[in-house]
Amino acid sequence: MGIRYEAPSGVVSAAPALTVSPLTTRSGLRVAGEVGLATHHVWERALERAVREDGDVYHLELSAVTFIDVAGAGALAAAAQELGAGRRMVLDHPPHALRRVLDMFWPDLSTIEVSVS
Amino acid sequence: MTTAAEPFESDEPFESDGPLDPDGTYESDESRGTVGPLDPFVHPALFYGDEREYLAGTVSFIREGLEAGDPVAVAVPGDNLALIRDGLGADAGAVRLMDMREAGRNPGRIIPGVLRAFADAQPAGRRVRIIGEPIWAGRSDTEYPACVQHEALINAAFTGRAVSILCPYDTRRLAPQVIADAYATHPVVIPAGSGPAAGSEAYAPDDVVARYNEPLPLLADMPAFTYDADSLSQARHVATDIAAQLGLTGVRLQDLALVTAELTTNSVVHGGGSGALRVWAEDGYVVCEVRDKGRLADPLAGRLPAPRDQRGGRGLLMVNLVADLVRVHTGTDGTTVRCWFAC
Repeated sequence: MGIRYEAPSGVVSAAPALTVSPLTTRSGLRVAGEVGLATHHVWERALERAVREDGDVYHLELSAVTFIDVAGAGALAAAAQELGAGRRMVLDHPPHALRRVLDMFWPDLSTIEVSVS
Repeated sequence: MTTAAEPFESDEPFESDGPLDPDGTYESDESRGTVGPLDPFVHPALFYGDEREYLAGTVSFIREGLEAGDPVAVAVPGDNLALIRDGLGADAGAVRLMDMREAGRNPGRIIPGVLRAFADAQPAGRRVRIIGEPIWAGRSDTEYPACVQHEALINAAFTGRAVSILCPYDTRRLAPQVIADAYATHPVVIPAGSGPAAGSEAYAPDDVVARYNEPLPLLADMPAFTYDADSLSQARHVATDIAAQLGLTGVRLQDLALVTAELTTNSVVHGGGSGALRVWAEDGYVVCEVRDKGRLADPLAGRLPAPRDQRGGRGLLMVNLVADLVRVHTGTDGTTVRCWFAC
């Protein structure tokens, strides 16, 4: 077939990381990296924090998240369903794969709002 | 042969070193595939040789349901869908009509995405009626094993449910083996000409699932990327880089990334800790294949809808929902999952 597997483009050899930092101007977190087997624990800790917060709206700024797998989307959906009455999460610029999986399995989650503006 | 892995988890379908069975294929579950006399699930094959026989068998089934106030859905190829719509006239508006060539392109998607999706959404206490025609003359030899396994697995997926699923078979255009298989996947058959329904003595759905658990031989010299827990991300990038070179774009490329992540992660968690990934072009499709040392013990894995509050266990379901075709071979040597994506 003429395909040779070489070092994939745009990939550093180190294991993928997920970093989480608080937003400075509003309640929420900025997440960067990719959500997969190696980083589920970091993602789930961030989501636990979102569930524990008090404010009505919690932002997850996801523009620097390059990939989220189905288990990661499931953890987000589970967290959204644990939010207290009147609370919601706003996903800022989520990766397309996340929106695709949420639409597929949790199309009517009222506590998650997607913002791409 | 197999490598020790994490213990089998109830929400994931792979296991690495389960007990061997005599056939070396699937573990059998005696509660599956056998329909007791009191089972409310009804699953007849309807043989038809022409349009008149098709309409006689299908429209009467639909009208019986409508007269009883039961929810009715029809998922058949587009040309047959038009026949039924015309045959129903004004009643067509009361029936959920779907083109099976689209909704059921991947046979592994039909139970969760068409049949159970419709049946599970209906109010309790009503018999649900569905016409499902997953096998038509244009199905390829590559698709057929997945089609016939799907037909066999409907029985296990609906055992105990007050549901009737009528499956039309075009005796004029389908191969004799396809008709013979229909006797093995349906407990009841309705002969061409709408004669009385009769029990099928050849009914043996578990045997069909095992028989069509066919090896998926590799093309010669197909390069592989071997991955483990430390290279899952690279595996995903290898797959998407090659698929993009081969012409896959947009949402389809994202779907391939999701599928690759799911299958390779399954290998690491449940399939012996590592596996081999291959991606190639074939007849207008990009094909993505994962081989590992795991064993897919439950043939219904990835074919049942996940309850909304169930946290995990959606990986293989997602694979079935987004791929255009999924073929699986599993046995004592390991499991191969091959997924097709139309370019």
